[in-house]
Amino acid sequence: MKKIRVLIAKPGLDGHDRGALVIAQALRDHGMEVIYTGLRQTPVQIAQAAVQEDVDVIGLSSLSGAHRSLFPKVIDELKKRNASDIPVVGGGVIPSEDIPFLLEKGINQIFTSGSSTDVLANYIKQLIDPNSSTINKPTKIAHIGIAVNSIDQAIPFYSNTLGLDLEGVETIESEQVKVAFLKIGETRFELLEALSASSVIQTFIDKKGEGIHHIALEVDNINARLQQYKSDGIKLIHEQAKTGAHNSEIAFIHPKAANGVLFELCQPAEGSEE
Amino acid sequence: MNNNDSIPSKEANWKKSVDKTLKRFPERKSTFHTTSEIEVDGLYYPDTNDKYENDLGYPGEFPYTRGIQPTMYRSRFWTMRQYAGFGSAVETNKRFRYLLDQGQTGLSVAFDLPTQIGYDSDDVMSEGEVGKVGVAIDSLHDMEQLLDQIPLDKVSTSMTINAPASVLLCMYIAVGEKQGVPIEKLTGTIQNDILKEYIARGTYIFPPKPSMRLITNIFEYCQKNEMKFNTISISGYHIREAGSTAVQELAFTLANGMAYVDAALKSGLDIDAFAPRLAFFFNAHNNFFEEVAKFRAARRIWAKIMKEHYQAKDPKSWKLRFHTQTGGSTLTAQQPDNNVVRVTLQALAAVMGGTQSLHTNSRDEALSLPTEESARIALRTQQIIANESGVADTVDPLGGSYYVEELTDKMEEEVNKYLEQIKEIGGAVQAVEEGFMQREIHHKAYETQKQIEKEEEIIVGLNKYKLDEEVNPDLLKVDEALEQAQINSLEKIRAERDQEKVDELLTILRTQARVQNANLIPHILDAVKAYATVGEICNVMRDEFGLYTGM
Repeated sequence: MKKIRVLIAKPGLDGHDRGALVIAQALRDHGMEVIYTGLRQTPVQIAQAAVQEDVDVIGLSSLSGAHRSLFPKVIDELKKRNASDIPVVGGGVIPSEDIPFLLEKGINQIFTSGSSTDVLANYIKQLIDPNSSTINKPTKIAHIGIAVNSIDQAIPFYSNTLGLDLEGVETIESEQVKVAFLKIGETRFELLEALSASSVIQTFIDKKGEGIHHIALEVDNINARLQQYKSDGIKLIHEQAKTGAHNSEIAFIHPKAANGVLFELCQPAEGSEE
Repeated sequence: MNNNDSIPSKEANWKKSVDKTLKRFPERKSTFHTTSEIEVDGLYYPDTNDKYENDLGYPGEFPYTRGIQPTMYRSRFWTMRQYAGFGSAVETNKRFRYLLDQGQTGLSVAFDLPTQIGYDSDDVMSEGEVGKVGVAIDSLHDMEQLLDQIPLDKVSTSMTINAPASVLLCMYIAVGEKQGVPIEKLTGTIQNDILKEYIARGTYIFPPKPSMRLITNIFEYCQKNEMKFNTISISGYHIREAGSTAVQELAFTLANGMAYVDAALKSGLDIDAFAPRLAFFFNAHNNFFEEVAKFRAARRIWAKIMKEHYQAKDPKSWKLRFHTQTGGSTLTAQQPDNNVVRVTLQALAAVMGGTQSLHTNSRDEALSLPTEESARIALRTQQIIANESGVADTVDPLGGSYYVEELTDKMEEEVNKYLEQIKEIGGAVQAVEEGFMQREIHHKAYETQKQIEKEEEIIVGLNKYKLDEEVNPDLLKVDEALEQAQINSLEKIRAERDQEKVDELLTILRTQARVQNANLIPHILDAVKAYATVGEICNVMRDEFGLYTGM
């Protein structure tokens, strides 16, 4: 896929560019090409730079309170240059009651302080490429999830009898499960033990007994893929990816869509080796 | 503490200076007690030993680790100086008078961005920015309104102004004259620290060389006119806000301080003539003990630099005096009331570290400029620390803590490593031009952001202990109509003043700017008095000096 080009600009006179610089670096780490204009750019200069550099999106940063006058001016200047198709997102110290006004003026989205850079990067990826035209087929099985009554009791079979390496055990509080990963070739077994009666693993075991719970497929572009599946009418458990183990992004497809098998989609965290 | 038979001279010296200080500034109470009636001494220190005497010593004595005055807050609290300014001069004047009525003891003026970058309110660059983050000052007329009915011989004023500091200082002098207050009676501080603008804050105008010239011009002018103004406030605050660590804040600030000293020496000034008027400005973040150690280390390092490296003779030149502001970037837009607690911790660290003046941020500053109510709570925070906590009843209460002393030593060590590195690059000006400090800070800022997102660093209410439904607090709104009103008033001043005189004085300023060793301050003062505007004066210098455009 072609690299997304982003123009990060600081309109107005304010010189605090910590936020702009952090965002620029984060987007680069997400594989985008980032052009930073430097301080004190007028709306005219920003629009000119965006057109000249042929960027896919503009990010504006402001802390001084001038956003109400300056952000809409950038939109106006883009219009004058027939470049209204370049989306503009904004961030900085911006009171929430100003956000509807800015959106109405044509800003696509506002990210205020405390927003995560990952959320911003994913937002931009989806904004530029909603259907991510190149949805590749999954390349491997990330892991096979097996529901067990007790990890401690199950592990001797996997590690001693089969001789697989135990990679680690972790607790996922939000799901009320404890998981253990055992490596086999380029994939893994994930043993899942319920930590409380309310855990989905407990429900599964109560209904079906111990056994294969799900198969996880490693994918890229997870959110675009979900959107695609959704528009294709595939029944999903999660329509948006959420954070799973090792900061990966995960989502489940409903077993009804896959002949009774629960599939997990799993996109490893960027920068991790797998 | 025990008195031994053989009283060492350093201890005796300190006792002598305590007696002397007490004559001028008697202690706030005749005796200090805890709530259980346990008496609190002025200072706690070990039975004398060499390590203590050399590394810590006594407050008011070299190397000042424990404070720059012998009795510190036992005699007088720090100056409670809240930074304020927004909208028009008239509106800001009202807030000033409110804060003075509430017990604030010094003024601190925030200017809007056009003023800080030397543009008039009607300049095309000023669009949308007039009166937003501070007060708009175009001409002497605005300054007169800003200081209306504020007795400049009684109130000390700090002005956060850097690139055009010379112009604003001249306006202050001119208002003083009109009030009948002679120049030597005016007290206060101008920030006037251009190096940190290049490093971290971005409100520069001219390139480094002419900027350094204007700064040394101010040093010289104030010295000649016996002005008791702090001619510079060498600021680590913005370096920290840009994302540096405490060590980087300290190291880069002290390196900048050395660059100003070098520039002043090079222009022919005597070290002991200007060094006592240098002041510093630090940040206070949440890591309590590290902050306290930072302030203590700062004093010790600077004292050694001034005495040993620059060979200053006057002890006043050795003393690092500083203002502290609590950390704006530590405040969250989420659950803003939590910020009151953060500010309290930070203010406490500043007081434990021996600050000379303090600004406490308001809880709503991650959202907008403070409302009157939140500004009052911020001031009350200081007053509670001063009057109710008892931490001001003994000097340097954390001195001698194994942890704090070790941290102070480590801090000094790490700072010295950076100073050595900057020296190798060729000094702070060179390091700034090469972007060394900027890169170090940006790297750290990005690391911090990643740590917060991975929840390796917990920010209460932001990445943990979140609320689903935030209550939106009332925020201060700067009236959008203000910009036009300010432009109208500026046009009126331009129409009423003696234009010929203004033109003539600006021409003189231009000619003098071309003379390398001419001091520009008297010419700026003349122009200001004739109601030449900030923009007009800065434009002359822009033409002559050029613009700095960043890295």
